Amino acid sequence: MTLTRISMLSLLAIAAGFGTVQLGISSSLLGVFTQAVVYAIFALGVGVLLRQNGLVSFGHALYFGAAGYGMGVILALDWMPAELAIPVVLFAIAVFAFVIGLVIVRVPGIAFGMLTLAIGQMAYLMASRARGITGGSDGMRINWPATLFGYSESALLKPVTLFLVAWVLMVVVTFVLVCILRTRFGSITEAIRDNEERARFIGITTTMPRAAVYALSAFVTGIAGVLSSLNTGFVSPENLHWSVSAITLLMVVVGGVKRLVGPIIGAIVYFLFKDLLGEHATHSMALFGAALIAVIVFSPHGIVGALEHLRIRLRYGPVAQRKTP
Amino acid sequence: MTTQYVLQAEDVAIHYGGVKALDGVAITLEKGQIRGLIGPNGAGKSTVIDAITGRTRLTRGKIVLDGEDVSHLGAVERRRRGLSRSFQRTSIFGGMTVLKQVELASYKMGVEDPIADAHAVLEELNLDNLTHVNAEDLGYGEQRRLDLALALVGRPKLLMLDEPMAGLSVMESLDLAQHLKALTSRWDVSVLLVEHDMDVVFGISDVVTVFELGRAIADGDPASVRANPRVREAYLGSAA
Repeated sequence: MTLTRISMLSLLAIAAGFGTVQLGISSSLLGVFTQAVVYAIFALGVGVLLRQNGLVSFGHALYFGAAGYGMGVILALDWMPAELAIPVVLFAIAVFAFVIGLVIVRVPGIAFGMLTLAIGQMAYLMASRARGITGGSDGMRINWPATLFGYSESALLKPVTLFLVAWVLMVVVTFVLVCILRTRFGSITEAIRDNEERARFIGITTTMPRAAVYALSAFVTGIAGVLSSLNTGFVSPENLHWSVSAITLLMVVVGGVKRLVGPIIGAIVYFLFKDLLGEHATHSMALFGAALIAVIVFSPHGIVGALEHLRIRLRYGPVAQRKTP
Repeated sequence: MTTQYVLQAEDVAIHYGGVKALDGVAITLEKGQIRGLIGPNGAGKSTVIDAITGRTRLTRGKIVLDGEDVSHLGAVERRRRGLSRSFQRTSIFGGMTVLKQVELASYKMGVEDPIADAHAVLEELNLDNLTHVNAEDLGYGEQRRLDLALALVGRPKLLMLDEPMAGLSVMESLDLAQHLKALTSRWDVSVLLVEHDMDVVFGISDVVTVFELGRAIADGDPASVRANPRVREAYLGSAA
């Protein structure tokens, strides 16, 4: 797909977001949509790591929660304006993840997953116990200023505005990620993911690019964390808990990672599924688990993989073809 | 006139505790020369390649590439200096297209025009009609040739091939062997060839080294090695 076509699709996606708010959707449903979009960005972060590094993280909630706590602490102590605090927090998350990544991305497979789980749970416990800074298990309110980027807080916190901000950000983040992954950096990380040893023997140093992907995925997850803190005005240790990472990972698996849009679809399906269940939502995880099993058994590459398989089948017929991207 | 060696491996030893996988091996390669390495399974042939390419750390010894001691360098640095290899098991990037991975390898070698270089290598190996096919969708023989293409980009000084004919039919093997001989001669690439197919080894090698239990037991031109009674007893047997 050419860059022009991707740009056009991105503009169409943004237009679709603006079209959605014209449909007269209730504020509560718009709230669900906003939460879905926030988690779609979170899932994009986890998906990029899985797609480019082939690594499964059980601890990405660390970066989701850390973004909220970072904003909360900076704004509570009035260190800098919120407009500056947002990039500072995201940059700090990326640097931290890069340094951690230099060590942990060397560890293969399940051991990497366990390391991320351990680091994430350490952060969860620290946030739960450091009452003086984080409010402990009660969490902390985030003192967003009266105006942000020139918009009043009341205007910004309207469900329609919040949804549009999150939606546009999601499209922009996806577009930027597509552009990054189409560069030489994308090819190098794909090569390392497919065959690290062979990558070394064609002259690729393998640790730095893998750490960079880990930092990039943490950065994207951090964006979701900042958005979530703006949406709820609150952050608690629950945002750092491993179960948040696990649910996001489920969204990624359901959506598929062959295309970047996969994790987004997974997140939207998850939230719509939960919303449709209505009063039966207490059993949502059991039902979503069953759906997950069905996806893994019948379409290991997720919803996007199934759609792509269907496209190839329609184009070339049922006989197995050599796939050209 | 002194001989110019592309490779000088001196007193190379690799020990795993009490097990001596290689013990005091010395191998040289002249420019454009093909050296065949033969021996029974477990003799240390692949370990020699691992030692020279930096995949395995040396217990003792020295690796000199084109006059430079590269013993202390890692695999990436050795590849950048022109020391390339293929693997016993096909080692390619399954999720990438043929052209994309060969072009990437070419770029990492610092070639000025990686796309042109990739096309040239793919054409040499008859893969130019498969450039946009994902590597995982190739047939086995095509994957073996792609593995070779990844090793050949950037015109390495020294190419080490670990059983490149494994799994190929007799005709495919002989065809690839002759093609390889012509190509390396044209590109002036020295080759260290580990192979079990004796027709291939004796057919294209300039010199042959025979390994047994981590040591070289014979070395010389193909005819003298084939006639060596110790080699016949240890490895060739009736195949000679």
